[in-house]
Amino acid sequence: MNRTETLSGASTPSILESDRLITWVTMSFLMVILVFFLLYPVYDICKLSFFREGAFSLRNYASYFTNPRIFRSLTNSLYVSIVTTVITTVLAFFFAYGLTRTTIPMKGIFYTISTFPLIAPSIIQGLALILLFGRNGLITRYFLQTTWNIYGATGIVVAECLYCFPNALFILVTTLSAVDTRLDEAAQSLGASALKTFYKVTLPSAKYGIASAAALVFNLTITDFGVPVVIGGNYSVLATEIYQQVIGMQRFDLGATISVILLIPSVGAFLLNYYLTKKSYSLISGQARPFLQPSRPFKKWGFMIYCWIPCLFILTIFASVFLASFVKTWPYDFSLTFKHFNFPSLGGYGPLWTRFWSSVLTGEWQSLIAYKFAPIWNSFWVAILVALGGATLTLLSGYIIEKKKPEGAQILYTLSVLPAAIPGTVLGLGYILAFNKPYFLIYGTFWIIIINVIIANFTLGVLASIANLKQIDKSIEEAAVSLGANPITTFTRVVFPLTRTAFFSNMTFFFMRAMTTISAVIFLISAKVKLAAIEIIFLDIDGRTASANAMCTIIIVIVVGMLLVMRLITGKSALKGMSASA
Amino acid sequence: MGRNLRLENLTKKFGMLTAVDHVNLEVEEGEFICFLGPSGCGKTTILRMITGFETVTEGSVIFGGKVINNLIPQKREFGIVFQSYALFPNMTVEENIAFGLKVRKMPKKAISDRVDQMLDLIGLRDWRALYPPQLSGGQQQRVALVRALAPDPQVLLLDEPLSALDAKIRVRLRAEVKRLQQELKKTMIYVTHDQEEALSIADRVVVMEKGEFRQVGKPIDIYKHPSSSFVADFVGTSNFFKGSRIGNLVNTGKREFRISQEGTSPGEEVFLAIRPEKIEVFKDKERPGDVESSNVVPGRIDVVIFLGAAVRLVINVDGDEVISDVIEKAFEQRRLGTGEEVFLYFPPEAFLVYPASEASR
Repeated sequence: MNRTETLSGASTPSILESDRLITWVTMSFLMVILVFFLLYPVYDICKLSFFREGAFSLRNYASYFTNPRIFRSLTNSLYVSIVTTVITTVLAFFFAYGLTRTTIPMKGIFYTISTFPLIAPSIIQGLALILLFGRNGLITRYFLQTTWNIYGATGIVVAECLYCFPNALFILVTTLSAVDTRLDEAAQSLGASALKTFYKVTLPSAKYGIASAAALVFNLTITDFGVPVVIGGNYSVLATEIYQQVIGMQRFDLGATISVILLIPSVGAFLLNYYLTKKSYSLISGQARPFLQPSRPFKKWGFMIYCWIPCLFILTIFASVFLASFVKTWPYDFSLTFKHFNFPSLGGYGPLWTRFWSSVLTGEWQSLIAYKFAPIWNSFWVAILVALGGATLTLLSGYIIEKKKPEGAQILYTLSVLPAAIPGTVLGLGYILAFNKPYFLIYGTFWIIIINVIIANFTLGVLASIANLKQIDKSIEEAAVSLGANPITTFTRVVFPLTRTAFFSNMTFFFMRAMTTISAVIFLISAKVKLAAIEIIFLDIDGRTASANAMCTIIIVIVVGMLLVMRLITGKSALKGMSASA
Repeated sequence: MGRNLRLENLTKKFGMLTAVDHVNLEVEEGEFICFLGPSGCGKTTILRMITGFETVTEGSVIFGGKVINNLIPQKREFGIVFQSYALFPNMTVEENIAFGLKVRKMPKKAISDRVDQMLDLIGLRDWRALYPPQLSGGQQQRVALVRALAPDPQVLLLDEPLSALDAKIRVRLRAEVKRLQQELKKTMIYVTHDQEEALSIADRVVVMEKGEFRQVGKPIDIYKHPSSSFVADFVGTSNFFKGSRIGNLVNTGKREFRISQEGTSPGEEVFLAIRPEKIEVFKDKERPGDVESSNVVPGRIDVVIFLGAAVRLVINVDGDEVISDVIEKAFEQRRLGTGEEVFLYFPPEAFLVYPASEASR
């Protein structure tokens, strides 16, 4: 026996040398990816906006703030975002209240309908509002025969409210169902009226959730590109102005400057949301009780009618876009046709797809399937890879952050949640600046799009993984290790099977985002690499509104198909607890 | 020395906090050791250092003559049973038990034989194809026990394995663990905060407080001769009186007790401890004649608690609460009951005496 050894004061850590190595290598790999594909592009944007000919300069900012037409995009953005935030938060709060604190029937149906906006590109609200209230709108032109139309700020606000509604709702439903309803009962038993209870107890206990939902809505609205580009008309906002300057005018420097300006409110809203989410967890009581007293008839009917309003709105949106893709000339000729699915050939090309169908089909079918449908195939293929890659990387990150907790895990966590703070348009522009160089072979290919979508949506994937991994008892892993399993066996045989449901739900989320995202990837498509969601915008700009609707319909059908498949695999609705941002 | 497990000056610090403070212990092969102490005393930390899940700050864990501080947990071949069972919910009972054998790449036939053998040990052969959530808590912990035993570990470590179970099953499983230990002659280290469990199951008990060993010994010795007032209080139930000792008399301020041990320094502050079953309770007329009269005090029975074979009395003695256990038969014969005025006799030799300075009470 070696007695001197036993007295050595500083002992080296005994835990799993090989495990530490694997953890360390994986963590470094993830950090390198996030630094290179998240921080580096943002850094390039900042550099371009602050430097001219190699010297620090504020000339870009001077020209931004002195050009009233461009400067207006900032005030416009703030205006629509604030208005949308107020309206959406209030609407969603009472909707959430109806779902969690009253005994109205059909809660499941209300909840499901309210999640619909998540499965379509944000642009769908814009397309539908144009169909209903546009220059040739069903309601404005056909029923009311007025020349008023919804283009501009009104259109953006209405569309964004619908788009953000489910995102705010998720947070508020979580908040309201976590707060102990017995507090309400206690207040009422002490003689407080229902209204007083609401103001003095319910509202204060949900305040952080409300503020967090508001910050999220603000962030989503100010960074959204799809809605303002189709319904904004001449009303310019920051996200569209960046695209305008870069793609329209080739002014990368101004685009970068506007990006930095857009980063300020969006990062601010993100930090606020992050802070409030932490606060709101501390208010959640483990004693929350699901039991509800039956609501009085007046309250019940009131909330029933109230909940139907947004649901009917959302259903109308989807119905109009769906219908408009199958009728000859909206809103004048409602005879059915498939001609809008015969997309104008925009030079689409999908590597394997086009080669395969060209060899199988001939004539009109060949051009339709092999070339015109190529962007859809591309989107689908990109979405599958994004789903696999995104779900895997976020699960690994979550595993390292939550279970392994090595030194530096905090940095990985910060990097992992940061993408939610970076607007898609900014990240897209950053990718052009950082990677449009001959030696980055992935630039101009599908791979850069895949990476971009994964990184842009990293936050929610990681947070969902962490939440899921938290539920796995630490001793389960220790049991595997003590029985002699190595780190890889432990992960593949024990940890992964237990997180499978969360993994599939993350896959669904990444798939949906890849199919529907517009803002970032619009900078990354090229003549050869086209995506379905982006085609909606180009079709719309070309005046082929009906085909834009048809493309949107196809995307929705694919996403719904995927949701059904995932539901069959996991036996759970994949949409539960999922929102577009953290 | 063989496959003995030794802890030498074993110490664990978490920042400023010393969780385990220079403890020493030798565990013989085949011995059943219990670490007993209140929560936060460091007993689980010692167990985790033995398993390798916690690093050692200072000192050594020595097994079979080799320092194993830096050996990874997989290589230690120690089985662990967790408080939360930690069964793999995605595997059946059978697959759970086979897990440790499969990762050792044992041949299929050997695995299935060993699994059968393990299932027979706990009588759960018919449950092999079920998943853990389909079993009761007691059944799950039995599976966890044989899952840890299946790879034939050198030592089996059990971290409060029964504390999540309800009282009756806890007592049954306790006996089962003891039976398995005797059958398999496996070295076992068992952590618990339940003193009754520790006393009934272990060959030797280690009583811990604040990261240190307070007493190590056979259960009966610890019960009969607690080395400090902490042990006397934590293991079993004791009545305490504080007083100052002059010769073999202790003055508590309210009364004077005669004790059998003579003190050396007059006026020394001491604690007297006495087990409830050592105190005799009787009504005036049944008072035995040959007792030390200064150790007889009057009191009134406030509360009567039936424990089964014994009856626990909470007696008010001049404002102090004294707990006394009498056998059920004596309780009946002497017609004791709530509100009755009684006399208590504290036999001088039954008092345990501790210097007040060492106690934290």
